Amino acid sequence: DLKNLFQNQNKNEKESYFDFEIICEQNKTSFKTHKSILSSRSQYFKSLFKSKMKEYQENKLILKDVSSSILFPILNYLYSGKIKINSENAIQILIFSSKYLIDDLIKICSNFIKKNL
Amino acid sequence: MSRKMILRVPKFQEPKRMEKSEAQRLWLLLKDAIVEVQHMNASTLSFEELYRSSYSLVIAKRGDILYTGLEEVNNHHTKNLLDKIAQAVDERFLIELNSQWQQYKLQQIMIHDILMYLDRMYVKEPQLKVFDLGMFKWKQNVLIHSQINDRLVRMLLGLIHMERNGEVIDGALMKSLIQMYVDVSLKEKETYKQEFEERFLLATSHFYKSESNLFITNNSCGAYLKKVEIRLIEEEARIKQYLDESTGPKLIKACEDELIANHMQTMIEMETGCRTMIQNDRFNELKLMYRLFQRVENGLVHLKNEFAGYVRNEGHKIVNQPENLKDPNALITSLIEIRNRFEKTLSQSFANNRDFINSVNTAFESFLNENDKLSESLALFIDKKLRGGFKDSNDQEIDVIMNKVILLFRFLSDKDVFKKFYEHYLAKRLLSGRSFSEDLERTMISKFKQECGNQFTSKMEGMFTDMRLSKDALDGFKNYLQTSVEMGKLPKIDMSVRVLTQGFWPTFPPHSCTLPPLLSQYCDLFTKYYCHAHTGRRIIWQTNIGTAEVTFRLPKKTHVLALSTYQMLIMLLFNDAEKLSLKQMAAGTSISFMDIQRSVKPLYSGKYKVLKRTPAVEKSKELSENDIFELNLNLKCKLHRIKFAATSQTDSEPERQHTRQRVDEDRKIEIDAAIVRIMKSRKALIHNDLIVECTKQLSSRFVPQTSMIKKRIENLIEREYLERFPDDRRRYRYLA
Repeated sequence: DLKNLFQNQNKNEKESYFDFEIICEQNKTSFKTHKSILSSRSQYFKSLFKSKMKEYQENKLILKDVSSSILFPILNYLYSGKIKINSENAIQILIFSSKYLIDDLIKICSNFIKKNL
Repeated sequence: MSRKMILRVPKFQEPKRMEKSEAQRLWLLLKDAIVEVQHMNASTLSFEELYRSSYSLVIAKRGDILYTGLEEVNNHHTKNLLDKIAQAVDERFLIELNSQWQQYKLQQIMIHDILMYLDRMYVKEPQLKVFDLGMFKWKQNVLIHSQINDRLVRMLLGLIHMERNGEVIDGALMKSLIQMYVDVSLKEKETYKQEFEERFLLATSHFYKSESNLFITNNSCGAYLKKVEIRLIEEEARIKQYLDESTGPKLIKACEDELIANHMQTMIEMETGCRTMIQNDRFNELKLMYRLFQRVENGLVHLKNEFAGYVRNEGHKIVNQPENLKDPNALITSLIEIRNRFEKTLSQSFANNRDFINSVNTAFESFLNENDKLSESLALFIDKKLRGGFKDSNDQEIDVIMNKVILLFRFLSDKDVFKKFYEHYLAKRLLSGRSFSEDLERTMISKFKQECGNQFTSKMEGMFTDMRLSKDALDGFKNYLQTSVEMGKLPKIDMSVRVLTQGFWPTFPPHSCTLPPLLSQYCDLFTKYYCHAHTGRRIIWQTNIGTAEVTFRLPKKTHVLALSTYQMLIMLLFNDAEKLSLKQMAAGTSISFMDIQRSVKPLYSGKYKVLKRTPAVEKSKELSENDIFELNLNLKCKLHRIKFAATSQTDSEPERQHTRQRVDEDRKIEIDAAIVRIMKSRKALIHNDLIVECTKQLSSRFVPQTSMIKKRIENLIEREYLERFPDDRRRYRYLA
């Protein structure tokens, strides 16, 4: 899977061909990503790139109301299809995936919550 | 799981009830952005910000502000566009409309993307989805607006008309504009169908109605067919190029109706039409006609009926042509020829369509049975072939001819008549040793067997067995003669006898004659020998169908004459007389006068004349019993052996009558058997049902006449096989 492609944020930068940056405003953290991967995994990103608006022009997306501890596993999920949900992050991830319409992740979270309520 | 999980709920922030002013602020932000999008200035906007704004509004239950606001913005925008587009003149109109439309569509996609959360989470039926809302506004305010719709449709139809007249138009533009009608249709392409398709189909029908009427009056049918085919190909291409595919079947149907269905009768009847094509074997044109007619309802029925009618007519001419009536060979040859010809038409033009083949077959059946001579003619045709007509053909050609014979035979309704004639000629071939090849004889018979089963050919096969057994019997007889005491007393003659089983062979009309003593002694010896070898059998001599070789000594030369038995008897009389009248000949041989006449004729009127009439009478054909003949001692002939025909004609009328009579006799028996069979199983039956059933049972062999069946029923009642019900005279009961 493509987990390593995302997780090697600082190594082999040249060989990783990152072309898009996502910044968490809360923690001032940034993640290097790939447009092609994001757009093929999420309708939100697909439309974002297609619109050719500011984010597309600057190759940069600033997210306001999410922390990197939540964003990292989600981005990792988009790359690898795997995510570890725990009682710590379940609700936050559910909120994020509902907002950005990541349907399969919504399902994973809500299943987890139902089981553990 | 033993350990209890505790869900960590983040510090719960009381969702701030969104202030109206905050909602208004977010909407204005979005509205400005939408306007920017509509002016194609989207690149400085932040997608995330807009998305987040729409999300915030929706989760704060303020989606309504956004949705109604969007509707208003679209409304306003499309109204502005209308003015802009409507102002464009002439060709600019279509170009302007198309470019505005293309932009509008892209904008709507973008707006949909920004408002994705609204679209997914807020919009509920019967509200339109965000993109559909945009389409609907375009339709309402632009497309079906009185300033646009009619003008657009007229221009589109005008362009299509031009293209049909051979001009080149912008296909991509057409496709885009026509697709617009489909895109703005909310369900089942209703706008496309109502506003465009209907008028387009009407215009198409108009165009082709006038074009086809004009073209067909000024051109040949063949040219018209080609034109139609090209037109249909063009329309197929048009569908692919710029129409919606759902229009395809309707468009093609409209074209077919105007171009084909409405002109079928003309295409069949016109001077260069179907009839002429069939007459002149114009296979390619007919093939095209078949292909095109196939496309319309009942088209092939018209074509088929026309073809079958022609076949029947041609067949009728052939079977009634005076020359053909006289010459069976020519008749059958012509029939095989037209069969071949029509088979070629069927395969080359009509794709060997089953219905066509069947109707041609029905036509053959009808004209072949118009004439009751056909059975005999066919038998005669094969007779000629088997007497040597096949000499110059190879196996394959022979097989083809035989199969054609079988084919014609299949159409005969009176197969029993044919069978009688066939047996008659087969017997003659075998007995006179004139059959060209036993192999071919057997091949032919096996084909009949395949067609009609064992029963049909059992007698014919019996004849062949007889021929073989006769040879054995004859060999035995010759051995017997050598060892026989009586042999020493008799001068040697080479006698050949064929023993024919009664029943296998046609019954030859009984004729009597007096054989010379020597011959009758030999005959007696044979009878003695044969009856000794096969006890319980009786031999009846059929001298009238025998042959003989007679040495004819002229002063300077000796010939061998190959004669019939009768001719031999007549010639032998001249050993003791110089001149003989026919009457004397008859008296000397006990042959009937008629047979004398027929036997003498070849002897004095053929190429080589062994008899001459005295006094010589020119060209008088009728012979009277007082006519006197003498040997022609001046016979000039280079051949040593001279062969004479047995009788003056191939077959005489009485003989033919005789065959017919025998067929009738057999039919009586067959009908009797059928009636008894039916009544035995049904016990009681109404008259009409019995007739129908009987006809059905016999139809594979012949078609019985109702009157004949009636007579047979009467006869069976007399013979107490059946009786009428006393209370219902029309019903019969079987008497066991």
